Amino acid sequence: MRPDLPAIHEIWVYLSGSPLLALILTLAAYQAGVMIYERTRLNPLANPVLIAVTLIALTLIALDMPYATYFEGAQFVHFLLGTATVSLAVPIYKGLPSLRGRLLPVLAALVGGGVTSIVSAILLARLLGADETVVGGMVAKSLTAPIAMGVAERIGASPTLTAVFTVTTGILGAALGRFVLDAVRCREWWQRGFAIGVAAHGIGTSRAFSVHAEAGAYAGLAMGLHGIVGAIVIPWAVSALR
Amino acid sequence: MIDGLVRILVFQGVGEVIAKFFLPLVPGPVIGLVLLLAFLAWRGGVPEGVELVSAAFMRYLGVLFVPAAVGVVLFWPHLQRQALAIAVALVVSVIATVAVSALVAKLLSRGGSDAA
Repeated sequence: MRPDLPAIHEIWVYLSGSPLLALILTLAAYQAGVMIYERTRLNPLANPVLIAVTLIALTLIALDMPYATYFEGAQFVHFLLGTATVSLAVPIYKGLPSLRGRLLPVLAALVGGGVTSIVSAILLARLLGADETVVGGMVAKSLTAPIAMGVAERIGASPTLTAVFTVTTGILGAALGRFVLDAVRCREWWQRGFAIGVAAHGIGTSRAFSVHAEAGAYAGLAMGLHGIVGAIVIPWAVSALR
Repeated sequence: MIDGLVRILVFQGVGEVIAKFFLPLVPGPVIGLVLLLAFLAWRGGVPEGVELVSAAFMRYLGVLFVPAAVGVVLFWPHLQRQALAIAVALVVSVIATVAVSALVAKLLSRGGSDAA
């Protein structure tokens, strides 16, 4: 005689009502993403976030699980974004000494790059017929993702689209940056790193670190400064223009 | 490590409160970041606990924005219709941003300030 085993669907109903399933799915998909990323020797196109999002989205579609149900469990991971944002202070603090003697070119490059990023994306997207939801998601896309999503909330844009465009921008910047820098004949490592950090935040920074230590340090600094300045200026500018 | 987490959470909390009551346009965690940065500068170094927690967050930063990004499933039909506009805007914008940042840094470093 065997004990009464619960039917599969009963187990399923129980699990999908608890945050556990969404948490396991999120962490396992990210772990798979990291493994693939390492297998491809850190190729920016095999970005772990992109892989994880694709795997989870396909799973949700296959299981016919609504996004809201998934997010109820995954919100515990999501919550830590704010805490991670605060702890960005540490790498920024450590990067500050590299500013010495280069304050003017660094800040000017930051402002020039930041403005270019927003204006070019908005104008092109509008010109090609994108709607305002999509255009709103582009505004903060060059900031580091945790800050970009906070800014999106403040300006009434979708944090989800912002996250997706931000990650895509990081991947594109990490993959294309080298060719652009060669085309404009930028040879100093610190300038190359800084430009990548302004345009492609964390994903660009990890790429820069894998090429050259000084480039990586400046990319990290650019990412941090762009995050702080963007978070203060963008919501203010958007509300002034409205 | 817990002492570091407590410090960071306190800065986050203070940042959220300031954002809520005084600076509604700036995200609370960014205010917390600036305050922590000021604290580190005043202290002249990074406490060990804060260092540990920060290193862990930086290492696994990517996983934290997965839950929100999965929301893209809700926008999928919407995005498909505008795929060309989105792709062109993102690609051209990142190229322009890298080029402008690099050129500005390069042109303004020529005055000999490069010595540093």
